[in-house]
Amino acid sequence: MKEIVNLTKLFINESLGFSLFFYNQKFNKKEFYKQLFTLIIVPVALIPAFFMYVSLMSATYFGLTMINQTSVFLSIGYIMATVLIIVFGIMYILSEFYFSDNIEELIPLPISQRKLIIAKFLSILVFEYIFAAFIFLPILIIYGVGQGMGLLYVLLSFLIFLTIPVLPLSLMTALIMLMMQSASLKGRKDMLQIVFVFIGIAVIFGVQIWFTSQLGNGDEVDFQLLMNTMLSNNEGILNIIGYAMPTSFLMAWALNKITLMSFVWVGALLGITLLSGALMVAIGERVYIKSIVSGKSMKKGKQLSGAERSKALGKKSHGAMAVFTMDLRLLLRTPVYFFNNVSVVIIAPLCVFLSFYFIKIPPEDLQGMQEFFRAMPVLINFLLISFFIFFGGTSATTATTFSREGKASWLTRMIPVTARDQIVGRTGVAMLIQSLGIVFTIIAIQLIFPLTLSTLLLTVVLGILGSLPILLFGLFMDMNRPLLNWDNPQKAIKNNMNVVITLFVGMAYTGLLIGISGLLGYFVNPLLGYGLFLLISIGISVVFYQVISNRLEAEFLNFE
Amino acid sequence: MLKLEQVSKTYGNKNEKAVDNVSFEVHPGEIFGFVGPNGAGKTTTIKMIVSLLAPNSGKIRINGIDNQNDILAAKKQFSYVPDSPELFEKIKGIEYLKFMADVYQVPAVERQERIEKYLDIFEIKDAVNDPIGSFSHGMKQKLALVGALIHDPQVFILDEPMVGLDPKASFELKKIMRDHCDRGRSVFFSTHVLDVAEKICDRIAIIKKGKIIEVGTMAEIREKAGSQESLENIFLELTE
Repeated sequence: MKEIVNLTKLFINESLGFSLFFYNQKFNKKEFYKQLFTLIIVPVALIPAFFMYVSLMSATYFGLTMINQTSVFLSIGYIMATVLIIVFGIMYILSEFYFSDNIEELIPLPISQRKLIIAKFLSILVFEYIFAAFIFLPILIIYGVGQGMGLLYVLLSFLIFLTIPVLPLSLMTALIMLMMQSASLKGRKDMLQIVFVFIGIAVIFGVQIWFTSQLGNGDEVDFQLLMNTMLSNNEGILNIIGYAMPTSFLMAWALNKITLMSFVWVGALLGITLLSGALMVAIGERVYIKSIVSGKSMKKGKQLSGAERSKALGKKSHGAMAVFTMDLRLLLRTPVYFFNNVSVVIIAPLCVFLSFYFIKIPPEDLQGMQEFFRAMPVLINFLLISFFIFFGGTSATTATTFSREGKASWLTRMIPVTARDQIVGRTGVAMLIQSLGIVFTIIAIQLIFPLTLSTLLLTVVLGILGSLPILLFGLFMDMNRPLLNWDNPQKAIKNNMNVVITLFVGMAYTGLLIGISGLLGYFVNPLLGYGLFLLISIGISVVFYQVISNRLEAEFLNFE
Repeated sequence: MLKLEQVSKTYGNKNEKAVDNVSFEVHPGEIFGFVGPNGAGKTTTIKMIVSLLAPNSGKIRINGIDNQNDILAAKKQFSYVPDSPELFEKIKGIEYLKFMADVYQVPAVERQERIEKYLDIFEIKDAVNDPIGSFSHGMKQKLALVGALIHDPQVFILDEPMVGLDPKASFELKKIMRDHCDRGRSVFFSTHVLDVAEKICDRIAIIKKGKIIEVGTMAEIREKAGSQESLENIFLELTE
């Protein structure tokens, strides 16, 4: 047991970098204050989002009280927490079990496989409990207070809370272990990671679409009938939800009405959770270490002939193009980077398309909306522009551009590439990804609202130019405080404050820019609005370009 | 060709200097060895030369160019291979070499000739289309060496180059270093393998606790030490 605790501490320390933090406290104050700032600012920045979430959940609870469906509240929360734990957990499981370097150092040591697996799982679980506390505890509290529950509810809720991340994570870990040991998939672990993440997203979409289809929508004839069923039967939706995730039945039976049977249901839930954990450990013992030591996990390329090598080496390219190509390759080939920086341009347009598709707007409403937008071109143009800026502002491509290189960044800092080429190459990658998002969005929108060529040209050009200051600000942030000391690429993105800062600053800037120029365009003259937009975007971009250009070479000297 | 004048470096808020008032010069056509115990300041000195770290004081000139005033021009004068070259794991070997050829603006014909030559010498031709992440430590080092030689640098700077290389590659590298210097260029490298330093270096500097304690040819070092012993014995006496 002591060994498991020590190993778990080691893995957590490795993930969070406590040792480095305390070393910096003594010997590198500048770095220490940077880390301290991050530790304080992240929870502070999340406070508004947390309050919004709690308010939303409270409103949902009161809404359900009105239609006599309060028992659904806990089940919805349970499913939501489980789905989110699975989606975010996939990355943690893959990182801890398959992408962390520590396993190769630990395998030769006389530590049993079981202890390694349990400790790795526990180190993931600690983070997931914190996550689950933010998602599920407010739901338990809102329901408990709303229903005037007593001490027994608190005790049973606590026990159920303990099971919340274990069950989905252990089953997901077991599934991932089985997939990763599959001989036919050897050498394709990067591809597998992307597949797993998209499966996670598909689960979310699946649940959402399934709910939509189960609950119907406002235009369907049987809406009244459905409402009647819901109003007359408190457990109407509960059954629907329960079939999707059977353990939610146990949780609902245990907490909706506290009786002696509640202890039996909680006991059953604890038993199932323990069994799932044991199953994961048993599968892990059979396949995990075996798959790690089975050989190289990267797919090899084919041998090249002299002519092929010569072709691959090509002719002399411009420095900016070399930086662009390298940055793009790293982004597309590293699953964590791909998912965080690129997938948004696929997912967001898909959301647009699916929401249009599933909402099933009646033709007369659709026509009305189209007429409204035709009458208010300024409004639709600025709406589109802000959506296009969204792709530039949220991808965090430039805000992590140096961080993503990690310990290999010595190369970037040593080579004789001008600051201008670095800026053009790295910003170019972000703009390419943004452009992909724009193209996908246009395709999705075009199917519902056909747009004129002039609208498209205007919004695309202004959307890209409008996001340029955010991209350059991201580059400026990463130039000043790159996160290079990581052993797992996930940390370059997830532990990187530059992403959060760029996102918040980008959102504030976009709001102001769209607000001011939109109002000018709407109330005074559209051309004036677009002109001001252009002027501000180009002005800020030029300032950031100059600052980065003048500082980059000097900042490279401060990277370590 | 490479000149350091009173260069010092302190890390963080530590009072002790990692590099303390270091001065020496590497001449054209010279293989210059840089030896010292662990933590003596070898890697810090090298990182300041190759513009990965800024010195707190002092001047570094590479081929006459001040590496703090004209960083870009200075960078074009050298190439560097660190002791444990961390390269972009997801990139193929051939893509890495193209990248290096592009950033040093090496023309098509020359890049092909040089890459073919060095891939043959280091025997990694068959692996060059594989992702670097699948390479062993030694293969990564060989790839980094090929990438560093692609633009035929004026000053070739290496940190512990023999660590991780197999005996044949080690032998070939020593030959390349000599050939490089015979063409009027320079090689500056740090090493713990004193045998190698004694055999191939034209001059050697010994660093201890951030300070240069000895610099010169083997004969000069022996003369100052008043001993005809090997570099290993002299080194042990000087650094104890």
